Amino acid sequence: MREFDYARADSPRQAVSTHGSNEQAAYLAGGTTLLDLVKIDIMRPEQVVDINRLDLNEIETLDDGRTRIGALVTNTALARHERIQSDYTVLSEALLSGATTQLRNKATTAGNVMQRVRCPYFRDGVSSCNKREPGSGCAAIEGHNRSVHAVLGTSEHCIATHPSDMCVAMAAIGATVTVEGPEGQREIDFLDFHLLPGDAPEREHNLKPGELITHVTLDAPLNNGRSGYLKLRDRASYQFALASSAVIVTLDGDTIVDARVALGGVGTKPWRAHEAEKALKGQQVSESSFQRAAEIAMQGATPYAHNAFKIPLGQQAIVRNLTTLTA
Amino acid sequence: MSDSIIGAGPKRIDGQRKVTGEAPYAADHHPDNMAYGYGVFSTIASGTITGLDLEAARQSPGVIDIFHHNHFPELHRTPSSMAQGNKVEETRLPFEDNRVHYEGQFVALVVADTFDNARAAARKVGVSYQRDDAIANLDQGVKAHGTKPGSGNHERGDAEGNFDGAAHSIDVTYTTPVETHNPMEMHASVASWEGDRLSIFESSQGVVQQRGALSKIFGIPPSHIRVESPFIGSGFGSKLWMWPHAVAASVAARETGRPVQLVVPRPQMFTTTGHRPETRQRMRLATDDNGRLVSLRHESINTTSFTDQYVETCGSVTQSLYSCPNLTVSHETTRVNRGTPTSMRAPGAAPGLFALESAIDEMALAAGVDPLEFRLNNYADRDESQDLDFSSNHIREATEKAAEKFGWHDRNPEVGSMRDGHEIVGYGMAACNWEAIKRECEARVSLRADGTAYVTCATQDIGTGTYTIIAQTVSDITGLGLEKITVRLGDTSYPNGPISGGSWTTATTLPAVAAATREAIKELKGYATSEKGDFADVDNDSDSLVFENGQLTHDGQGVNYVDVLKGQKLASADGHAHTQGADDRYSYRSFGAHFVEVRWDPGISNLRVSRVVSAIDVGRVINSLTARNQVEGAIVMGLGMAHFEATDYDARNGRPVNNNYAEYVVPVHADQPPEVDVILLDYPDLEFNEFGARGIGEIGITGMAAAVANAVYHATGKRIRDLPIFKEKLMENIPAVQSA
Amino acid sequence: MSDHQNNGDSRVETFDARSPSRRRFLKSMGASGLAAATAPAWAQIAQASQQQQNAPVEPQDDGAPAEGEQQIQLTVNGVEHTLNVKPNAVLLDVLRDRLMLTGTKKGCDQGQCGACTLLVNDTAINSCLSLAVSHDGDSVTTIEGLSNGDELHPVQAAFWEHDAYQCGYCTSGQIMSAVAILNDDNIGSDDASVREAMSGNICRCGAYKNILAAVQDARGKMEGAS
Ligand SMILES: Cc1cc2nc3c(=O)[nH]c(=O)nc-3n(C[C@H](O)[C@H](O)[C@H](O)COP(=O)(O)OP(=O)(O)OC[C@H]3O[C@@H](n4cnc5c(N)ncnc54)[C@H](O)[C@@H]3O)c2cc1C
Ligand code: SF4
Ligand code: FES
Ligand code: FES
Repeated sequence: MREFDYARADSPRQAVSTHGSNEQAAYLAGGTTLLDLVKIDIMRPEQVVDINRLDLNEIETLDDGRTRIGALVTNTALARHERIQSDYTVLSEALLSGATTQLRNKATTAGNVMQRVRCPYFRDGVSSCNKREPGSGCAAIEGHNRSVHAVLGTSEHCIATHPSDMCVAMAAIGATVTVEGPEGQREIDFLDFHLLPGDAPEREHNLKPGELITHVTLDAPLNNGRSGYLKLRDRASYQFALASSAVIVTLDGDTIVDARVALGGVGTKPWRAHEAEKALKGQQVSESSFQRAAEIAMQGATPYAHNAFKIPLGQQAIVRNLTTLTA
Repeated sequence: MSDSIIGAGPKRIDGQRKVTGEAPYAADHHPDNMAYGYGVFSTIASGTITGLDLEAARQSPGVIDIFHHNHFPELHRTPSSMAQGNKVEETRLPFEDNRVHYEGQFVALVVADTFDNARAAARKVGVSYQRDDAIANLDQGVKAHGTKPGSGNHERGDAEGNFDGAAHSIDVTYTTPVETHNPMEMHASVASWEGDRLSIFESSQGVVQQRGALSKIFGIPPSHIRVESPFIGSGFGSKLWMWPHAVAASVAARETGRPVQLVVPRPQMFTTTGHRPETRQRMRLATDDNGRLVSLRHESINTTSFTDQYVETCGSVTQSLYSCPNLTVSHETTRVNRGTPTSMRAPGAAPGLFALESAIDEMALAAGVDPLEFRLNNYADRDESQDLDFSSNHIREATEKAAEKFGWHDRNPEVGSMRDGHEIVGYGMAACNWEAIKRECEARVSLRADGTAYVTCATQDIGTGTYTIIAQTVSDITGLGLEKITVRLGDTSYPNGPISGGSWTTATTLPAVAAATREAIKELKGYATSEKGDFADVDNDSDSLVFENGQLTHDGQGVNYVDVLKGQKLASADGHAHTQGADDRYSYRSFGAHFVEVRWDPGISNLRVSRVVSAIDVGRVINSLTARNQVEGAIVMGLGMAHFEATDYDARNGRPVNNNYAEYVVPVHADQPPEVDVILLDYPDLEFNEFGARGIGEIGITGMAAAVANAVYHATGKRIRDLPIFKEKLMENIPAVQSA
Repeated sequence: MSDHQNNGDSRVETFDARSPSRRRFLKSMGASGLAAATAPAWAQIAQASQQQQNAPVEPQDDGAPAEGEQQIQLTVNGVEHTLNVKPNAVLLDVLRDRLMLTGTKKGCDQGQCGACTLLVNDTAINSCLSLAVSHDGDSVTTIEGLSNGDELHPVQAAFWEHDAYQCGYCTSGQIMSAVAILNDDNIGSDDASVREAMSGNICRCGAYKNILAAVQDARGKMEGAS
């Protein structure tokens, strides 16, 4: 790692003021993305602001039924929280399917939201990559693009998947990101937080320079909702999703009253499949209605040389998840 | 006791050191004043270095020196001869010139006071290149410059003439990708000089060969070089022969006048420390009406580097496993811009048996015979390639025993017919096979006056349990308890021992250790029968003087050997032995069979190996605990080979794209099949050596990938001829991709 | 106890495969806690790491930190260290290269293999993705801190008994993960749960079957003892 200055913040205010709008500064939470990338010289912060001692470790139920999660709550702590397990099962399962036990013990809620792509051309430091070096091109589109590249939300400038599992569950649940910045506090709808690559893949999220995530607040759970996360990959554990689905459904007998569907591993951002949800609402529980919704979810997907299989795989992730939840 | 210790399963004598973190691996050494090296590696696969910008790096904190092709002493190449004991796989020296032959080649080496400073500075080195078009894979190599003949070919009868017109025949081509050994411990050297004497801690499977190579490269006598590798974080072949980093570390230490530690970073473990090359194998098989093989051709091509010729002898097993009068095995290579390949666990046989044992399955189906039946009908009873009998071969029993335990006979042969809920169950089998090799070896054993024994040999324990089986051997002969026996390995200051590879360590070292033990006993008897001895009146060579359980006895009168030594104020009785390699009276090989159950869930395109039963015939098992572990571990690695493992290269420029432990997918705990059952047949092969042991490290991986592929065919009807068996190869309805 | 110093000539180290020829880390529970006498040793990771050890406290950076360095306190296996470190110094490297606690291994340096797993305040983490500075005041337990003198921790003993390794390089990380898992009520005790929870510890030698057996055996012994 190159040299950097280090400061430990005692309060969000202080963190924000130390960071300022310095483009060369970075917050350090669990460090599992940041230090990984600093070690391979892809991120080169000159100032590291350690936020680990901030008092942002709470998981609280708000009066309106929402659940507010401190930015520093670890992935392990969040997955195990009683209310998360019972009312937001999909989130607990998504978290536990991500990374490894040790990494989840370090990884934080905000850090997970902010994790960066696993595209090898981004990580190698030399290939053309618009995300790393705007305007240089995208080596992945014509290159090797099997595992960590998307079929949904891609552009001719970038096709990397957003690798998070947690965020897929949050996209399904609905959430708000609270940030504190040089200009004060504001809230961002979770679905607007991550950006599509479009023609500026270097812009990954809606934070302004120096803004600190302090909380992620989950929408109140659906009444009588059943939810689950299904992650498909090569090996049985510890691998980024090739395709995954976060599904929440409420049933009235055999009729689907409400449904939320989000996808991982296939999209350039945590992918909410609104159209598929619409197609499910009011339908009878049946394989054909699931299959139809799944097809709708993957409509408009663009396959690349090595990842076309993600289109049927994404559909399978939806169908099986729905099948299991409604069984 | 004498009878039971060989073949028993005592826990490892070095186990405590491993579970407490005390076992020292190469990079654990911190000699005084040690500096740290960090490499700068090429980011193109082919071309020339045209410029180096070192300014920023030089000014980086703690930097001591930066080496590169314009700042590196003139050295010599090693002739790279295994017989001479100086083999390397990549003969080109690091920083020899400004040429780049593969991505991830050393182009500079930064030495600094701490690891972090070295790495930080290495990141600041700027390198400019003139880039040439890279040959990125086997197809491109063959297209660009064809192939070159390899070694290990074999021909008998007329395979071509007996193919056409045979009752049943198949003509199919298999491919295997580059696989990377990925031992847990990254390659590491800690080098220091004292005058013109070099001492190096290395993660090495062959300290003696490395000493020889360094001796040639630096032009100093072997006696001036000490290579130590007491513990190694495994190697699987990648650490058999020294790689460029060890030369770079040695030079850096000499030039800076400080010990230097250099660890090869994980991404470069994919580039500059060898790999299993890519292969393409054409299989043509034919049988008569009775399903007997009448023609067999196995023609393979593998990739090699532009600097060296490495042949993956895929057909090595094919020439002798099955009986067939008309047979051709040929090997060719083609050059690509990758580092030099090297042996990886069961070189030749692992990819070769994927092809052969898949083809046998296909052939059996074409001939309408059950694959198990087909094998039993066609297994060779003698080695037809060498016209020799096998020293010991129980492949039929292995196959039948494993089949029985697995429940092969309950298999419904119809494809896709066995279902369990969402899942389709498939059964597959394959034979496994590996040559048994025994080399010359030296060892030294001291029976010491403190009641202990002390054994030295410059072989290594790479995790196979060599420390322990050597102690068992000495215990067997002397009757001393294992706790009284100290074994030291992995140091060139000990008597020459073999590389830890090819599964030949056991068969090679145990006879030497046994002979040295007997020599020590003989010396002891000499002391005992000398004028001052307890048995001064007994003839030294007399059979009536026996050594048993630490006692010398004669005519019912016993003296503890410790007293013999103490009586004469002697420290020890020592024996040294130099034993020879195997003879050529027989064909020495190990045999076995794998039976695999896979589960394919088509609804989520999920493939799992759920059950493995393997029966292995490796001669006598010396330590049942470590032997079983070897086979179980090889099964896991074979499962990885079948399922996930492939180093991917960008076809446009030869860049490895998944060169890390997150994206090069190896099996993790969760992939372990719930049931793995290893049967060790345990028939001593006394023609091979006095212990009857043939070695067990590699055989378990051979045939595994084919067994999985055959089971996948049974479950899905899809014959996967290109490894790995990724889910997309089994999926339906994958949309076509318009290439841009 | 010069073992802790950065000046040990490692050539004097002997490689006696039979038994540890010397202990890198002389640990004594001392008289400091009644708990030490009553609770089994392995139930005391938390206590052990807080206890005053007899072992001398070194190395110590008594001087003021040099420019660009920061002074931190690290309690490692119960021993308190005052260290001056650069902000970019990684916990794993500080333990291995400065404190000479080389039992914790580096297999990838990027959070991908699990070889560097150790406990920080009793939680298993990857030490290769941790800055030393951000662990100021923390308590670290490494493989060297697990056994009580010559008495192995039940997980260590079980690994030895079950041959739950081959080369031994992933072993420290496996054992540290196993200790954390066995002390964690949230992780199921069935085989599948253990396999899943341990999947961040790659064993390229493939000793997974024996590792599982060792973990489950240790579970029985620890439960039996407590
Ligand atoms: C080998 C490996 C495998 C993995 N596998 C998976 C997987 O399967 N699924 C999955 O979902 N994830 C996976 N991950 C990613 C992992 O989940 C993320 O690295 C982790 O969640 C990041 O959290 P952190 O706290 O460590 O973030 P850090 O590394 O500390 O920070 C990440 C980024 O966020 C910024 N940041 C941190 N906190 C804040 C804040 N409060 N406000 C604003 N910015 C902030 C940092 O500056 C940095 O840029 C894997 C990671 C590794 C290394
Ligand atoms: S996919 Fe995105 S991250 Fe990858 S090379 Fe293209 S632009 Fe860069
Ligand atoms: S060294 Fe830390 S996870 Fe590999
Ligand atoms: S024992 Fe070698 S990697 Fe696990």
